[in-house]
Formats: sequence, structure tokens, C-alpha cells
Amino acid sequence: LLAKNNRLGGPGSLPKGLGQAPLARSLRVLNLSGNRFAEVPPALLQLRGLRSLSLGGNRLHSIPPDIQELRSLDFLYLGGNFITSIPPELAKLPSLKYLVLCDNKIQSIPPQLSQLHSLRSLSLHNNLLTYLPREILNLVHLEELSLRGNPLVVRFVRDLTYNPPSLQELAGRTVKTRNVPYAPSDLPENLVRYLSLASNCPNPKCGGVYFDSCVRQIKFVDFCGKYRLPLMHYLCSPECSSPFSSASQSSTSQSESDSEDEASVAAHRMQKVLLG
Amino acid sequence: MEQPVQTETWKARSLEDLVRILHQIFAEDKVSVEEVQALMESYDSNPEEWLQYAKFDQYRYTRNLVDSGNGKFNLMILCWGEGHGSSIHDHTDSHCFMKILQGNLKETLFEWPEKKGNGEMAKKSERVLRENQCAYINDSIGLHRVENTSHTETAVSLHLYSPPFDTCNTFDQRTGHRHKVTMTFYSQFGERTVC
Repeated sequence: LLAKNNRLGGPGSLPKGLGQAPLARSLRVLNLSGNRFAEVPPALLQLRGLRSLSLGGNRLHSIPPDIQELRSLDFLYLGGNFITSIPPELAKLPSLKYLVLCDNKIQSIPPQLSQLHSLRSLSLHNNLLTYLPREILNLVHLEELSLRGNPLVVRFVRDLTYNPPSLQELAGRTVKTRNVPYAPSDLPENLVRYLSLASNCPNPKCGGVYFDSCVRQIKFVDFCGKYRLPLMHYLCSPECSSPFSSASQSSTSQSESDSEDEASVAAHRMQKVLLG
Repeated sequence: MEQPVQTETWKARSLEDLVRILHQIFAEDKVSVEEVQALMESYDSNPEEWLQYAKFDQYRYTRNLVDSGNGKFNLMILCWGEGHGSSIHDHTDSHCFMKILQGNLKETLFEWPEKKGNGEMAKKSERVLRENQCAYINDSIGLHRVENTSHTETAVSLHLYSPPFDTCNTFDQRTGHRHKVTMTFYSQFGERTVC
């Protein structure tokens, strides 16, 4: 269904009964670009068979976490909106190959986005990104990544602010690291969802997981041997950060080369990817 | 390229006609930039004539070879999906003509960075090229980035490069660092190229 360049956006833009209609299961392609949607219409999220969705050039300020309901989605175009952040639930789309988030107001990328195993192309240009999570290196099938027009930090910056983890975070870490068994029937749905969003601490000697609480260190990884990209190393606690993270000059270069070593394998994969 | 004594005013009545006249012009020793640009502009884009070359890729813009100009030039069609753009690049000492066949493309001109390249590259100017307009650039003019900034429409452009080249430099806007790349064709003469 192509309905681009109209004035859709008010309540009732999409028929209420859309989810119950036969169309809900059969519609594959929906293009609503160039309209006036200020939010993703909830009825749209019932189109279970949808493969391709474009809401480019609308007035969206956010992406609803329930976007994960569109299990068959492989193409999602959200460029040219007013989106400020990305819900980690977006990463739960198993078939997503092409994700366009260019020309928005996005300030950070959740590390969970690295769980988009099928992602081939990620468009992030013209946003408000100052750094990227290092997990972006885990997107092994990524062939295209656009980052231009972001205020990416060029010089080395170290920011060791740390917020202590919440009780929920600590409990979640224990469940995950001790492999405490649980089934969806044991816990409220929101906690099941929370536990599935655990990220692994990148320190190989730690093997721990974290949810929201982490130490941020912006380190640089050399891409293409030509210039540096700032990556955010999420480490689960200050003690976990590498022993080289003291403030002295010599350890700076050591921790830089350390990060280059551990990231160089993945970075090699990314060499052809950046579109400058 | 120099101005010949008599500059023809050509009118290309079809894509085939355009190619035929280009061959004629480039058979000469001297070719005028103005003449080629005027010829390219004179062709009124007719999708029926170029649809067979316009193969889009979901992830990035494509280069589709139309004619190899007896080695004197390459004529190709570029297909830009919504939001697709190029890196900042040079033209390896060749002439580059770019005509819009459908949609619009934004061209941003940049100054060449200093040899060492350690700062944000300087933007010279930008403009939006409309259907049937033809732009020209070469290395002495500067570098450029070409983008389809539309989130709702695709764009198609016709490019002529003389002499033909298959490598160029791409530049990082933030630092001016350059990186040599080899360009490939998504299709040639209407046939999808197998990688």
C-alpha cells in the first residue's frame, strides 16, 4: 500500500479495525512517507505480515517499543523525522536488514542494537551522535553504515562518571550470571523483557552482564587506518574497566592500543562499510 | 578541453541520439566542456528510454553503465534511493558531467583539504539540482558530495566521465583524510553485473 505525500496524521488516519482485517496478515509493504504522523499509529503495529515500512518525512518524535510486534519487518525507513532516541526493543526485530534513521535528532544508539543479527545497512547520518557504542562492531553482516553529519567526538575523551546500579539491575545481573532458571510464567512480562535486554561486559576477563548501569569510556578505534571513530566502551563497573585506565599519559596510549587490538578484528570487517 | 572555432548547438532528441552525438563530439581531438554540458541539458529525460538501466539497490546508490564511448568516455546512470548519498570524492583528473533524469540531487562542493588533512573540511557551496539540469565538475574546481535528500522520492542521474576512471579518493569530512577506492558497476549495458 503506497500512500505517500498525503496529509495523513490525525486520529483515525488508519482504520481502527485494521488489526482484525484480512489485510493485517497479508499486507507486505506500507509506504506512508511524506505525511504528518506525529506518532506511529498503534493500528499499524498489528500488521503482522509487514515486511517493509516507510514513515520517512513525517513528524515522529519517538519509536514505540511495540515496534517489535512487526516480526516480519526487514526494511524500516524512519529518516527525516524528529526522533530523539531509539528504544532497545527495536533490536528485537529478527529479520531487519535495512534500518534508516538519518535526518533525525538522535543523541545515542542503544548497545542492544547490536542484536540485530540480520542488519545489512544502517543509516545514521545527520543526527546528534557524539559517540557510538562499541557493540556496533558486532553487527557482522553490516555492509553499509553512514555517519556523516554527526558531531562525533574527534579527540580522545574520558568520562568516568558512574551511577550505582539499581536493585533491579543487581538482581538482573545475578539472574543472568548465575544462570538462575526462569520461565515467562514465573515473572511479570516487563521483567522477562528486562532480562532479555542484558548486555555482556566487553572485558573478556569479567564475563558479567549489565543493563543500564555502566562506566563510560570513550575510546577510539582506527577505521580504515585513516581516521578515528569514537566508540563507547560500556564496562559494568569501574573496577571492571581495564587496569590501564588511570590518568597518566603513557597508559593512555596503552589503553588505546589495547582497544585497537581487541577491536581490530571486528574493525577489519567494518573497513569497507563507512560511507564517510 | 578547449573551445573549438565553431560551437555547435545540439539537441538530443532521445537517449540514443545523445549517445550518437557524444560519439561524434568525442571523435574529435578537442572537445568543449560547454558543448557537452549544453548537449546533456538539451536531452529531455524520457524514462521509457532509460528505465532498462535504472536498477535500484535497497542499501545504496548504484552505477549502471550505459555506453563506454570507445574508450573516450563512460556514460552511466546512477540510481539513488530515498536518503542515499555518496561520500565526498574527487574525479581522478577527469571531467564529470551530471544530469538529473528524475527527482532532485543535492550537490555540496568542498575545498581540497591540506595535504596532511587535520581539520573539518571546508564547504564551498551547495545547491539542489532539478530534473534535466546538468552540472559539471573537475578536480581543479574542487570535491563534491551528491545526495538524494528526499525521504519520499527516488532520484536518477546521467553521468559522463572523460577520460573514464575506476578509482578515486573518498574524503572524511571531519578530518580531510583521504582513502582510495575502486568503483564498480551494478550493471553494464542493462545487464546486472555479477560480483
